[in-house]
Amino acid sequence: MNQATRWRLAMRLLARDWRAGELRILGAAIIIAVAASTAIGFFTDRLGRGMVNQSADFLGADLVLESPRPVALAWLDEARQTGLVTSEALKFSSVVVAGERLQLAGVRAVTDGFPLRGRLRTAAGPFQTDAEDSGIPASGEAWAAPRLLTRLGLNRGDTLSVGEQELVIRKVLTFEPGQAGSPFGVAPRLLMNLADVSATGVVQPGSRLTYQYLFAGTERDIARYRDWLKSRLGPSHRLVGVQEGRRAVGTALERAERFLGLAIMAAIVLAGVAIAMAARRYSERHFDMSAMLRCLGASQRDLLALYLAQLLVLGLLASAVGCLLGWLAQLGLLALLAELLPMAPSATSAWPVLAGLLTGLVVLAGFALPPVLRLKRVPPLRVLRRELSPLPGNAWLVYGSAIAAVVLLMWRYTDSAKLTLAVLAGGAAAGAVLGLLGFILLALGRRLHGRVGVSWRFGLNNLWRRRHTSVSQILAFGLALMAMAVIALVRSDLLATWQSQLPVDVPNHFAINILPDQVEAVHGFMAARKVPTTQIYPMVRGRLVTINDAPVRQAVTKEAQSDNALNRELNLTWTTELQEDNRIISGRWWRVGDSGRPLVSVESKLAERLGIEVDDYLGFTVGDEAFSARVASIRTVQWDSFRPNFYMVFPPGVIEHFAATYMTSFHLPPGDKPMLMELVRHYPAITVLEMDLILAQVERIFRQVTLVVEYVLLFVLLAGFAVLFAALQASLDERLYEGALLRALGASRRQLRSGHLAEFITLGALAGLVAAIGTECLAWVLYSQVLHFDYQFKWPVWIAAPLLGAVLIGAAGYRGTRPVVERSPVLLLRER
Amino acid sequence: MVAASGLGKRVDTAAGPLDILADIDLQIHTGEAVAVVGVSGSGKSTLLGLLAGLDLPSSGDVWLANHHMNVLDEDGRAQVRGQLVGFVFQSFQLLPGLTALENVMLPLELAAAPGPRAQAMQLLERVGLAGRLTHYPKQLSGGEQQRVAIARAFSMRPAILFADEPTGNLDSSTGETVIELLFELNREQHATLVLVTHDEALAARCERHIRLEAGRTVPASAAP
Ligand SMILES: Nc1ncnc2c1ncn2[C@@H]1O[C@H](COP(=O)(O)OP(=O)(O)OP(=O)(O)O)[C@@H](O)[C@H]1O
Ligand SMILES: [Mg+2]
Repeated sequence: MNQATRWRLAMRLLARDWRAGELRILGAAIIIAVAASTAIGFFTDRLGRGMVNQSADFLGADLVLESPRPVALAWLDEARQTGLVTSEALKFSSVVVAGERLQLAGVRAVTDGFPLRGRLRTAAGPFQTDAEDSGIPASGEAWAAPRLLTRLGLNRGDTLSVGEQELVIRKVLTFEPGQAGSPFGVAPRLLMNLADVSATGVVQPGSRLTYQYLFAGTERDIARYRDWLKSRLGPSHRLVGVQEGRRAVGTALERAERFLGLAIMAAIVLAGVAIAMAARRYSERHFDMSAMLRCLGASQRDLLALYLAQLLVLGLLASAVGCLLGWLAQLGLLALLAELLPMAPSATSAWPVLAGLLTGLVVLAGFALPPVLRLKRVPPLRVLRRELSPLPGNAWLVYGSAIAAVVLLMWRYTDSAKLTLAVLAGGAAAGAVLGLLGFILLALGRRLHGRVGVSWRFGLNNLWRRRHTSVSQILAFGLALMAMAVIALVRSDLLATWQSQLPVDVPNHFAINILPDQVEAVHGFMAARKVPTTQIYPMVRGRLVTINDAPVRQAVTKEAQSDNALNRELNLTWTTELQEDNRIISGRWWRVGDSGRPLVSVESKLAERLGIEVDDYLGFTVGDEAFSARVASIRTVQWDSFRPNFYMVFPPGVIEHFAATYMTSFHLPPGDKPMLMELVRHYPAITVLEMDLILAQVERIFRQVTLVVEYVLLFVLLAGFAVLFAALQASLDERLYEGALLRALGASRRQLRSGHLAEFITLGALAGLVAAIGTECLAWVLYSQVLHFDYQFKWPVWIAAPLLGAVLIGAAGYRGTRPVVERSPVLLLRER
Repeated sequence: MVAASGLGKRVDTAAGPLDILADIDLQIHTGEAVAVVGVSGSGKSTLLGLLAGLDLPSSGDVWLANHHMNVLDEDGRAQVRGQLVGFVFQSFQLLPGLTALENVMLPLELAAAPGPRAQAMQLLERVGLAGRLTHYPKQLSGGEQQRVAIARAFSMRPAILFADEPTGNLDSSTGETVIELLFELNREQHATLVLVTHDEALAARCERHIRLEAGRTVPASAAP
């Protein structure tokens, strides 16, 4: 047979099989697998490329130095001498006021030239098309993010105040370089001119500020300066280059990709099972043709080429459709996450399409090739002796190629052999356990056999007779339902717990950056308005640098070296009274006469992580000054009490001479919010953190993220349906014949149909039951080990999952078995 | 044209090895029409399969137009079949995915013969199905399907035609027509015909009978 003939014949057979509906399941399963993987592919590619392309643009510079205090001028001189361009900025959080409304904003005050790389993007109004902007806000002006404007009910041209300074909103800020690393930033952004900062009164000794120094230049100069700077950096300095900036967003993205990738793998594996079932049937339905072709002189190679060409074309076409659907699905994904995204996604590239096509072909090869390869070994003698079939495919080949395909695809998401193996082993173990469970349930269901009507008996019989495929369907749906149930549970319980853990009168606002000379006045202000506050605590910002005279990084275990507490300034405080919900677990609290003695009380979890014990000596630096203190006690802290809490508490008289600001917390019902306005008007330097709003924002983020996960899990459910229909198709001939026989023996169509209904309702209910059991176990582990919630029996799942399974699968199965009563029994029996 | 010597087929069954065929010696000359007859289970189909090179004997040799079939590999035999042999079976073995015309064209296409469509159309016309070219096997009656199968068998102008109970599934009058067609085409193309049949009427039209009993030939009788 020559190439052209083969090709023509292959395409004609393919078209014919497609028209006859033989390939629909196979095609649909490929489409699902590819759509699932390209949806994630497009999504992460667009975000990822957005990130990599822009990295320097994204950072706003080639190099950024961050410091809680201004750095020595000599450092900047050195930069200029090295040939770098520099620019300064100041970052802080501040409550922004407009009329009667206020909102915590992330503010950046910038100087001419900002950003050194990339461009700001602005628009004339909220939700209008934006464009690059090469300027910065002039003095007296502010550019605000759309979210800030909506929150404050402002428009362009309106005025807002930052501290004591009024600013006119000139533009809507849509993109600001240098906001990488906080992809899920909570506070909306505000950009202003550095010249206006002093007038705001926000900058006070002890305020939480970040001074930013931006550098740009040739790669060589940047490297030189970096080297020069490295040795001079103190512990509170942070140097961010292009790589570091990329890494921050990259990790978030990578995690998302990995996590979603695993969900996608579940969908792909299920689709693979459907493909394997469909391919097996395809193969069996082509034995006769292969034998005939052999008989007519086709060689084994001819046959192989004939089928491979069909498979290839089918795979490519279905994958292309899958890519298209994946692209659409990705739009949905981006829409769901739009508010949370740190950057505008870049345009679609061709890579995910290529990856999608490859995914389709790999899945097809892994799951469909072994049964199709069998076709070339059909003995030609089959034309005389119909019962002759090729030897069944080698089990090693069948499972080996499927596993190889899965490993290959999983590699893409995990990028690590260890993780791939772990996930594979975990998945196989979970599959085996759930499968066994399904099997046991099926066997139990069969016990009912004698006690149910004829239709149910017929249905249960069918399930048991095809128990292998039944179990695989129970597994497929059980898995999908379980994953969705767990997500839904965690979401609702987590939200409920957050809400219930906030008793009505718990403090829901923090006021920080209260200046020492305002403490009395603020106290009076609150008292006058009958707002009870917690104690007002002083706050000194300092670092833990030594433990028993050893540099802290050497003194702690390896895991603790990256502990956040070592990498940033801690809030140090002093007090005489032990906070009421704190407990001393070792050592002792201050006694009379401890005032002025260098003692410190350490929070218990931090002490545990860093290996700090009572009587250890801790060395601190505050600004340039160093001092040390002996650990007098270890304290437990109720962090979720929303009271001011501290890692390090000193007795009075030890750190009092450092510049301190004060903080307090208080409860304010939503109706009393206008009071905050007054507070901020009177005391502009104060930053009010509205925990209720911040929690609401966190809650919203959480909702959105879980929604995305559920969205992705839909693919798993779809793949489950592919398995169902593949199994149905595989058993259809047998069902048709049996149905015809039963009808010939006098069974009514109704009886047959109720039998089918019974069968699939049972199948769905069993899958739901497996899901409920799995959910219960998984939720228990999750709640007790990870989330530390009280665990309660999840009875709603036990009702919802079987019900949902019964309805979904009952309906699909009922629909899928319709041909059994649609065709005339006479015809069917004659065809046999 | 077709020759076998010492041909035997032994299969392994649960009850031990079983000789389905043993010690078959025969010669069929070019242009001859030979009927293989015998009771059900006597090994007729097995013999046909061996002669046509669809299967390998356990012992003995088969020659098909000077090709030593049992030393060729499967693909080699397939090639010989493609060039020299036509088949007609009891169950018609048309490809359900192809139309009548495409079914007839198939062997021509496999052999990359020129103008397959015209040849196939001509043959279908010859078997009286000119109006059914685009019908699929499912849409044809048993007799019509068998006529398509005959057209296909002759499409390559085979030197030898093997037929296994070509009328087995047809009523007698339809069978009559089919037989008529088979012999007509055979004559036109000067092919050698080897057919297995229970059908006395069919057997009667062959020049020679090979009678099988329990896997062995019994002294051949000339056609009456
Ligand atoms: N591979 C095999 N394994 C076991 N038994 C076999 C095998 N092939 C053939 N037989 C047996 O050999 C005998 C001859 O089979 P064959 O099909 O050749 O008979 P036949 O003469 O064509 O019968 P019929 O007229 O019914 O078609 C039968 O009993 C059959 O069951
Ligand atoms: Mg036979």
